[in-house]
Amino acid sequence: MAQYQQIGSILLADCGTAMTKVVLLDRVGEQYRFIAWGEAPTTTEAPWADVAAGIRHAAEKITAITGWSLFDGSGNLISPELAGRQGVDAFAATVSASPPLQVVVGGLVEDLSVAAAERAATGTYSLVKAILSGENRGVLKEEDLVHVIHKAAPDAVCIAGGVEGGAEMPVLELVRTAALACALVEPSSRPFLLYAGNSRLRQRVVKIAEKRAELRVADNVHPTLTEDNLLGAQTELDTLYLNKMQTLPGIDVVSSWSPTPLTPTARAFGRLVEYLWHLGDPSKGVLGVDVGAANTTAAAVFDGQLSLTVRSGLGVAFGGEHLLQKRGAECITRWLPEPMSGDEAYELLINKEMRPTSIPQVKRELWLEQALAREAIRATLETARPGWKPGAAQLYPHLLPLCDTIVVSGGVLAHAPHPGQAALIVLDGLQPTGVTTLVLDKHGLAPLLGSAAAIKPLAAVEALDSGGFVNLATVVTPVGGQARRGDTILKLHMTYDDGSAFSVEVRYGDLEVLPLLPGQRATLELRPLRRFDVGLGRPGKGGKREVNGGLAGLIIDARGRPLRFPRNPERRQAQIQQWRWDVGG
Amino acid sequence: MYYPFETQVTPLTTIRRQRILPAPGEVLVRADQRVEPTHTVAQAELPGDFRILPLARLLGVSLSQVKRCLRVSIKDTVQKGQIVAKRIGHSIESPITGVVTATGSGRMLIEAQPALFELHAYIPGIVSNVLKDYGVIIETVGALVQGIWGAGSESFGVLKRLVESPDEPLQDRAIDPSCHGAILIGGSSLDDATLKAAQELQVRGIVTGGLPPKLIPQAEQLPFPIVVTEGIGSVPMSTPIFRLLTTNDGREASISGKLQPRWDVVRPEVIIPLPDDTSVPAQVQPGSPLTVGARVRAVRAPYMGRAGTIKALPTNARLIDTGARVHGAEVDIGQDEPVFIPLANLEILR
Repeated sequence: MAQYQQIGSILLADCGTAMTKVVLLDRVGEQYRFIAWGEAPTTTEAPWADVAAGIRHAAEKITAITGWSLFDGSGNLISPELAGRQGVDAFAATVSASPPLQVVVGGLVEDLSVAAAERAATGTYSLVKAILSGENRGVLKEEDLVHVIHKAAPDAVCIAGGVEGGAEMPVLELVRTAALACALVEPSSRPFLLYAGNSRLRQRVVKIAEKRAELRVADNVHPTLTEDNLLGAQTELDTLYLNKMQTLPGIDVVSSWSPTPLTPTARAFGRLVEYLWHLGDPSKGVLGVDVGAANTTAAAVFDGQLSLTVRSGLGVAFGGEHLLQKRGAECITRWLPEPMSGDEAYELLINKEMRPTSIPQVKRELWLEQALAREAIRATLETARPGWKPGAAQLYPHLLPLCDTIVVSGGVLAHAPHPGQAALIVLDGLQPTGVTTLVLDKHGLAPLLGSAAAIKPLAAVEALDSGGFVNLATVVTPVGGQARRGDTILKLHMTYDDGSAFSVEVRYGDLEVLPLLPGQRATLELRPLRRFDVGLGRPGKGGKREVNGGLAGLIIDARGRPLRFPRNPERRQAQIQQWRWDVGG
Repeated sequence: MYYPFETQVTPLTTIRRQRILPAPGEVLVRADQRVEPTHTVAQAELPGDFRILPLARLLGVSLSQVKRCLRVSIKDTVQKGQIVAKRIGHSIESPITGVVTATGSGRMLIEAQPALFELHAYIPGIVSNVLKDYGVIIETVGALVQGIWGAGSESFGVLKRLVESPDEPLQDRAIDPSCHGAILIGGSSLDDATLKAAQELQVRGIVTGGLPPKLIPQAEQLPFPIVVTEGIGSVPMSTPIFRLLTTNDGREASISGKLQPRWDVVRPEVIIPLPDDTSVPAQVQPGSPLTVGARVRAVRAPYMGRAGTIKALPTNARLIDTGARVHGAEVDIGQDEPVFIPLANLEILR
């Protein structure tokens, strides 16, 4: 790291599926500061077909704001920095614009080894195209399974199965089928075979795969009946994704600007969330959610352990139409404050896929996009939560564990017309419990700072406090008790720093927003009733908490967990509208 | 500076199309050769079907006993119904004609003969490059219209206008026997009956502004390509596209409904070849930033599909109906006053 000691200015870029963001950091006095950011559509397609062009376009905005020129007349990054604000000392980039890894996963039991292999695959940008399980071997012939793999045309076939010292023959049969399927593919497009099952079988697996498939071996993803060990398989799949990233047009130029390897955006995002956990209450978790155009990422850290889940192919531009087909239009339209037919929703979602960088210009389309964001978050959590180990932070089995901080990122949240709308999307999608601070990543800095940490960890740490992240809201969510709508379930006394104070009684079913601006601090005295739990030790236990203000204020979410909607569509729409008004959106 | 996406709606340009085989094969034409749309320019043998015979299980023998039951060897060609393994009382026949490519672990793998894939030129023109073993690049001069959504593959036919204005839906009663072999130019939308009539009269393709979402599955099964120029739903075809297509009414055109919305994007298109001696005017540099005077099209409601000219690019962000403050442009779309459209919702028509 010696060569990085003298680094002053740093340009960071994130090449997303729809948008490319760049951020300029520099030393101001003794500290790194966030200087400016720019955003432009990603340019992987014609007429540019060069991912570097999008970085230059976004950087032009920084130049326009600051007068700092970053590229020379030939489009090359000026580095190191020259006198007169020209160029930067270092550059790093994260990428999620490349196509996801197409994976077929296989294992013996769907709920155990297959599920573990799927979780390993969701640790990077991948799409699970098909599942082979020992259970469906009984139903499908080997030939059918080979056809399944062929039809999926995967980049990798990941075979798990057998706890350590456990089953052997069925695992080897599965490997044999997968190896045969690989061998039948033309060598130039032959998938990798990743074995992450019973480690005792490795030598036999090597022999089976010989001359049939390029084999990679990782630790058993499901070594015991109750335990996952995903790291090895995730690292292998991440490496394959990085290889696939190299197919993006212009990526070689971007790589040549950076002294460190390019990082998948989700991985860098996870790195930053991991860092934030070290700053907070260690008994709780920290959760990061990034809702992108084509992917939604959840990074959860409990007891210092990061669990990263990427729901590839589901974001606010891509995947909505597929979700609607799979789960029905109602799953999205139920979040709208006025009626919308399934056909209309389908039409709008397809058109958005065709123009992923476009933005809603009328309210109806905004609501639909925000509804999709809620469902993208919920679907990602469904995939992610079985892999979490929240320990004591898990108050109630089916609810979100206690999170000290929830960092939210993504254009649909950062560019929401009102901060209350962004807060409500997060509350509806995640349904947090207890007392949580929602932090909004206004400029998509989170993955960028995660990548900066690889060059200059201090820059990432110091830039965190310099304006890119803002408190969106502090949220208090009483859970676990029994009440009827309208019953008082929480008494709250709030004392501001200037000594002024007021009290509120919160009724079950309400969504209350209390004024607490960014930069303001207050002491909350919470007294839950009816055995409701605000995460202060046990049901009914109250106490004091210092809280910070946010763009959307202090939100008391007493709607109950899980959220329930009126069945009658008119009443449900009125309820959704009321919640919007409650948060000022 | 803002760099919007671009859609080509060009009356006259040089068009190059790369024609690539799905697997290495043989190129059948040479550089500078003139080709027609149906000309086979390259061909390749693609892997065929396969069958895995679980011989040990079918014969009821152990894995080690399978070898002595085999009646064919690796690389042998076998006919459908030919006995490939036998023991007393049991014989196993090949389910397909093919080649035995592997045996072992009590199984036999038989691969069918490869299928011949023929790659057509798709557009008339000159072979400008030969990509050895993989394909060619064909160059022509003509008009080009890119669509936003499409289905089906490629075709060639005569353009035939069936609506009076771009906001008129294409109706089944407009389709008569004269449409046989033609590429139909529609307006804002069409319906189920229109698609059925078009299929019955064996049209070569349809170009429409919008397509109802309900018809997508049907459109994906049509034997001819369909090109949607504006979007899903009922959307009038934008004026420059309608004008370009209808001024070429009666000319031959190539049409492709192929669509890949992400990664190596492929957009549906209509190419209208023009005589070789037509001189191509200087083109605006592709990928240029948005400037005053640029010809643009709105891609979201409330102006979706409306084309116009940029009148001003205000420096400050403005409030739009959603409550968001966004940077945008004032666009003359033929109303009394220019309208404000977010930059993100504009694309350049080139």
